[in-house]
Amino acid sequence: MHIDRYEQIWIRISVAVLVIFMIGIVVAGWSLSIQVPGVYGRVDPNTVTEPGSPWAEPGLRELAPGKYEAYILAQIWTFVPGEIRVPAGSEVTFYVTSKDVQHGFRIQDTNLSFMVLPGQISKMTHRFEEPGEYVFVCHEYCGVGHHTMAGKLIVEEAVASNQ
Amino acid sequence: MGVQSLAQPKIEKEHRPGRINKAKVLYVLAGLPVVAILAFAIFRPIRVLPRIDLAPSYVFTDQDGQRFSSEDMRAKIVLYNFAYTHCGAACDDTFQVMRDVQARLGELDPESPEVHMVTISLDPERDGPEQLRAYAAQVGGGDNWHFITGPPQQLKNVVGGGFELFYESAEDGSIRFQPTLLLVDGWNILRAEYRGDLPTSEEMFEDVDLLATEAVKSKGVSRFAYEAAHLFLCYP
Repeated sequence: MHIDRYEQIWIRISVAVLVIFMIGIVVAGWSLSIQVPGVYGRVDPNTVTEPGSPWAEPGLRELAPGKYEAYILAQIWTFVPGEIRVPAGSEVTFYVTSKDVQHGFRIQDTNLSFMVLPGQISKMTHRFEEPGEYVFVCHEYCGVGHHTMAGKLIVEEAVASNQ
Repeated sequence: MGVQSLAQPKIEKEHRPGRINKAKVLYVLAGLPVVAILAFAIFRPIRVLPRIDLAPSYVFTDQDGQRFSSEDMRAKIVLYNFAYTHCGAACDDTFQVMRDVQARLGELDPESPEVHMVTISLDPERDGPEQLRAYAAQVGGGDNWHFITGPPQQLKNVVGGGFELFYESAEDGSIRFQPTLLLVDGWNILRAEYRGDLPTSEEMFEDVDLLATEAVKSKGVSRFAYEAAHLFLCYP
């Protein structure tokens, strides 16, 4: 089969670009430890707030010193709880699910961003080093009150302990 | 012939009979692995349990008052549950699954690593070796079943921070936590977790069986096949 010399060159260049980008994605994925949000687990949205479910009393729980888990329930048009306080340097694992429609969860100035679907649990972990106010917003259109759906995570200065 | 080959030398060359077309061979050679990889990823001939996370290391005390550490469980498959001796019927579900799994361990490959059961007591204040021994007799722990606990702060770090199980004491002396079963492999890697939503004994045994089979078979060349199964997320 005869292929024009210039066409051959361009075919090679386009294949090389694909290979380079593919390698780039894989290397970046590992070296920057990008977390791809996947399906962590499922939960029945009808019974998600009933006793026994961790979202019956959503909020922050201390697993161990410096390590927390936050159960957050997204519903129209608010997050429960709307405010979370953790000391600086703590690692927080978020478990978020929706009671009604599709929502989003994004904490500004962090790597955390995922969809929140009824029936599915989204899980992600982040270590908050810098004290300050981190606003979390819903970034999937969920109805007329969508723009008001936000909360904040306050990272407090760690109490000085000289031990 | 001479005139023709002068006019179209290239085509003439490629169609010469008896000569292997190098380009075609190259395409086939390059295509075979791609097809093989796709087939592996789609048909998933080997199933493995995911490598979820490293399990925590610990040094605790067992029901005989002996030092018991996660290092003692190296190269062994360990099924963990969490309880405390005053728990009563609320803790029965996980014990039932573990008893059923223990009763069926004889069905595993004879070369598979030892399978141990470990119950971690969340109530070190009240659960000393004596209480744990009595509890072991009561819930039916046999050989290879360890009942362990440790100082409260270490316990919080290992169970809360490491195994990510939240527990807290209530005012009436009970401890609130989700019934949890965790399966850890011989490299101290967490391979299966059931939190709140417990498996049937059958499902739990299948997980143990998958792990034992992997430990027996992923040696030599077939090790690469098992690593490929991990890479392509061939989970059950």
